[in-house]
Amino acid sequence: MANRWGFPDLGVGIGLRPVHFGAILSQSPAVEWFEVLSENYLDTGGRPLYVLDRVAERYPVALHGVSMSIGSTDPLDVVYLRKLKALADRVRAHWVSDHLCWTGVMGRNTHDLLPMPYTEASLRHVERRVQQASEILERPLVLENPSSYVEFAASTMTEWDFLARLAEEADCGLLLDVNNVYVSAFNHSFDARTYIDAIPPDRVVQYHLAGHTHKGTHIIDTHSDHAVPEVWELYRRAWQRTGPVATLYEWDEDIPALEVVVAEAQKARAYQLAAEAVAAEAAR
Amino acid sequence: MSADTLPLGRLQRWMQAVIVHPGTVEQGVHASGARRLVPGSRVGDLVRPSWSLRPVERIGIYHGMYRLRMVDALGTDYPALRHFLGEETFRDLVRAYVGAHPSRSYTLNRLGDHLPGFIRRWGGRVPARAFCHDLARLELAVSEVFDGEETASLTDAEVRTVPPEAWERAILRPVAAFQRLTLGTNAAAYLETVREDRNEHPRPRRQRSSVAVYRRRFAVYHLSLSRAADELLGDLTAGTPLGKALARAIRVRRPPREQDLFRWFRDWVSEGLFRSVEFAPSV
Repeated sequence: MANRWGFPDLGVGIGLRPVHFGAILSQSPAVEWFEVLSENYLDTGGRPLYVLDRVAERYPVALHGVSMSIGSTDPLDVVYLRKLKALADRVRAHWVSDHLCWTGVMGRNTHDLLPMPYTEASLRHVERRVQQASEILERPLVLENPSSYVEFAASTMTEWDFLARLAEEADCGLLLDVNNVYVSAFNHSFDARTYIDAIPPDRVVQYHLAGHTHKGTHIIDTHSDHAVPEVWELYRRAWQRTGPVATLYEWDEDIPALEVVVAEAQKARAYQLAAEAVAAEAAR
Repeated sequence: MSADTLPLGRLQRWMQAVIVHPGTVEQGVHASGARRLVPGSRVGDLVRPSWSLRPVERIGIYHGMYRLRMVDALGTDYPALRHFLGEETFRDLVRAYVGAHPSRSYTLNRLGDHLPGFIRRWGGRVPARAFCHDLARLELAVSEVFDGEETASLTDAEVRTVPPEAWERAILRPVAAFQRLTLGTNAAAYLETVREDRNEHPRPRRQRSSVAVYRRRFAVYHLSLSRAADELLGDLTAGTPLGKALARAIRVRRPPREQDLFRWFRDWVSEGLFRSVEFAPSV
């Protein structure tokens, strides 16, 4: 099933990280696309932008941000959004994504992806802001489900219901982070499969996969390791519902050599084939 | 009170006040900033417990990550300062600094812009404060030069096209990714040993020194300058025509030798410090 905007399945990609700049330029690694952390390239004229331009000449790219703060009660930062649009145009980004979260209020940025209470009022609030942001960006916004460590007593719906309704009512795309679903499911004691099964498949534009850190009492989304088998299995389950969708492996802490990250990302292929085999069997 | 009666803005202001509190999360919950919005005893009405953590412990995860993130961000921009101060003092400095200068930008890259000035006036214990101030100024210059606009440097071939008689009126424009600093300590030498990952580092001492920080082929370098070289480079990058700048350079008690002037100029051109040459009108 294709997503409703016809955003392409870019294949399997990895995040563009400074520690790999040299290796990426010299080796042209066997990945099909790169995801770029938008904020790291907005206000620099130095090496990061130079490398990004070279990468964008050779590979498809998508922008992924952490500071749009779509759920904040502060006004949207229009200057930021205009710079983001300019960067997206410059590198011919296939889409622009950020997170369903807020990062600060009263002009402050905590640089964390803070959770929302899932209420009707929050839904209306975020819906309006998604539409504003999409207008400035001149493209549909794609939002990622965050991993979270707090649940609000006021929430009147689940995160997956909130996300599914937001996608329909604000007409936005979804970046389904399968590891985040797993992390939040452990932290909040819900069944990750229920979450995966409730996401409207034609809204899913991209997948994220990553490793995490298990603290015993909770899991932190650190992007510091290989993905656990349960996350891969959730990915297979999701892929079975959505069909081919661009997939990206994130590794942001204790980043190993480029070939290790690429090899981890390429594991997605086996799960895609398994999902397609199940789907073919079901169709027979 | 529950979050359904609490407007979203108030809930967010409360949560932020707790997360960014410089003490423990419990202190944050009971501090006046958060308590004004939600009484400390009512946290359980806002945040659900998990199977393993109390509401305040769950908020505490964000509180702990905020502090780590600030230390990481400033440690990335100020590695030599962190090295000199050691982890404990550096963390204390960061905690105080982000309280006074919290991030108000979409990027962490400029979080440390006020750190040099903050070091001078912070009431906490800073060993060799003047040295730390210089080190921070130098590292801030490095990060600003790293992100500076890319401008092509003047090439040797372009220099050779300038007729000899025109040099007197030549005005040399510096590349955008360039800064000149005058320091009162040996901070530049310390930075050098940290960047080169050496085991031995110089002790802080008072020493007037000048440094040019610049970028070439997307890498940031710094070049030590003698007093005379610093003054000449300062004049040139301020737009003084070469003839006038040279006349000023030799009008001192111990003027530099002609071959030194020639060598400096050649080095500055080859290091890519200038982007263009223009000519002042003939008098």
